[in-house]
Amino acid sequence: MARAAGTVVLALGNDILGDDAVGFHAARSLRAEFSEGVDVVETGEAGLALLDHLEGYDRAIILDAIATGKCPAGSVLTWAREDFKDIVSPSPHFSGLPELIHLAERVGMHFPKDIRVLAMEVDNPTVFRESLTPEAQKALPELVARARRVLTQEWGHRSPNAPCTNKR
Amino acid sequence: MDKKVQEIYDQTQKIANQQYMGHRRVTIDPITRLEGHGKIDIFLNDQGDVDRAYLQIPELRGFEVFSRGRPAEDMPQITSRICGVCPTAHHMAAAKALDDLYQVECHPVGRKIRELVYNTFMLEDHALHVYILGGPDFIVGPDAPKELRNVIGVIGKVGLDVGKKVISTRRRLREIINYAGGKVIHPVLGLPGGVAKGIAPDQLPQFRQIAQEGLEFALFTLQVFKDIVLKNDAYVKLITSDAFTHKTYYMGLVDKDNRVNFYDGDVRVVTPEGKEYAKFPVQKYLEHINEHVEPWSYIKFPFLKKVGWKGFVEGADSGVYAVAPMARLNAAEGMATPEAQKARDEYFKILGGRPVHHTLANHYARVVEMIQAAETIVQLVNDPEITAKEFRTIPTKTPKSGVGVVEAPRGTLIHHYETDENGLMRMANLIVATVGNSARIAMSVDKAAKGLIKGGNVSEGLLNKVEMAFRAYDPCFGCATHTLPGEMPLIVTLRDLKGGVIREIRR
Repeated sequence: MARAAGTVVLALGNDILGDDAVGFHAARSLRAEFSEGVDVVETGEAGLALLDHLEGYDRAIILDAIATGKCPAGSVLTWAREDFKDIVSPSPHFSGLPELIHLAERVGMHFPKDIRVLAMEVDNPTVFRESLTPEAQKALPELVARARRVLTQEWGHRSPNAPCTNKR
Repeated sequence: MDKKVQEIYDQTQKIANQQYMGHRRVTIDPITRLEGHGKIDIFLNDQGDVDRAYLQIPELRGFEVFSRGRPAEDMPQITSRICGVCPTAHHMAAAKALDDLYQVECHPVGRKIRELVYNTFMLEDHALHVYILGGPDFIVGPDAPKELRNVIGVIGKVGLDVGKKVISTRRRLREIINYAGGKVIHPVLGLPGGVAKGIAPDQLPQFRQIAQEGLEFALFTLQVFKDIVLKNDAYVKLITSDAFTHKTYYMGLVDKDNRVNFYDGDVRVVTPEGKEYAKFPVQKYLEHINEHVEPWSYIKFPFLKKVGWKGFVEGADSGVYAVAPMARLNAAEGMATPEAQKARDEYFKILGGRPVHHTLANHYARVVEMIQAAETIVQLVNDPEITAKEFRTIPTKTPKSGVGVVEAPRGTLIHHYETDENGLMRMANLIVATVGNSARIAMSVDKAAKGLIKGGNVSEGLLNKVEMAFRAYDPCFGCATHTLPGEMPLIVTLRDLKGGVIREIRR
């Protein structure tokens, strides 16, 4: 299955768990900027359901929140497809990105060859709340800027609606 | 929760934290996206032997406060967003709670549409577990090298075509759910008294084809399970081994003939001997279920109120009960559809009769349930009434309190709401399926750990065995489902009394 757009920005999260929704917020900014050649999708789904959202694209940016506890809240952490080579073990209720990538390859699915994961470190994504914390709100432009850089500088997409700035 | 109760709760949590930190413990901590989720704590006594082992299931906090003051009609949408794993189960339990809240009987056509969507969801979710999540334990094998104990190993065993079939069947089943309810995560199906949208007659040929494919796939899965698992004596021995056996009470929804029903019915509880202990409409759940709180844990442990909490022990004198596929089959007298009934009879024959107490039998029971879900879908898409244009009874009564229940893939799921006279939420209480199994899961983890840790020495085989002990329950860590970097390595940390690390095992 090929898509009209070659690139997808896929935001993962839960919009009623506070900072867990930070990827959605970033996605909304990017949707306003990139009108052609980039699909922007928000989902609360996980596991195999993500195959539906990634299939048919050549490139994907995955936006998410993460709580490693090793970085200050607001830090943006990044991974690329090459970081997901090994499947360590199945988790209790979960099939992760490594499994998806292997599965897609094995069944010959048209799947992104270039995948970037951009995740913002968050403090407390286990309390029901509809708004972002001030820390996440403050760091949100950096998450958007990182995604924008990949889209424009590395993948050559145009962003005619991007905010005017002399720094990218 | 009122203020005073909240204060007591907070105080208890504080004491719990202090006690928890004071213990000598081993922690098996999956490095998940949300640190600490699905963590296993093993408390050691002074001799270095296991005092008690527990699985810590993550707790999402603040739902009570979050829902307060919102219109009750929003609850099916809000609760379906709680978790990315079983949104349809929460959506349906919420819709049924709204029926009860507004004292309106769901329109018969609306009920059929809800049942169609719900059984489709059950089939899809169970299929995923059998092949993707639980499959590595049984289809590939518990002793297979770890690099094969994943979905790629499953495909290697069952063949590439089956792998493709799993993916395409899942996608096709989702077409039914998406048509009837919109987005899976934000479904707009359930309304008090019925559903928001009917089914157009021109959809039926497609749905009938999907249903037939779903049934064939379920029956094929049973054959796969028989060929790969049941014909292997070592697997059967493992399933029925003492290490994975607990004799507890079992709970599940049943129809008027005491047959398994995922969508509706009375809650039936059977004793460890398989005799009916209680049968009640879910509105009376507070008379039958109580929650035990341990000082060391955030998780609550539901138990049968009238039997009482006797600790983490099995037997008829202990109020510990189990939910989920094996418990559902135990709690009912039969399945509601013919092929599922045949599979169920064979299941009990192979496993030594009803009730079955072997936790790993959940994998087999799940396959039996797939068949019932698929047969029910076939029945419903061939029901002439399914395309009727009336599908909702408009509620007219003043809301006050409502309770809804469904059998989620992982067990009995209860939603309880109270509102003011305008239908604005005052109270929400959810007993989610995984929590229903929390005491039994703790017992399983404990049993595995006790067999493997002696005198402070942790056996290298601990990780797999302990993981298997809880994976059979299919515990849902819904909020941890986007784990990055996408793996779930385990760490066992052996600590001394002061919390210093003695030894760490990584996988």
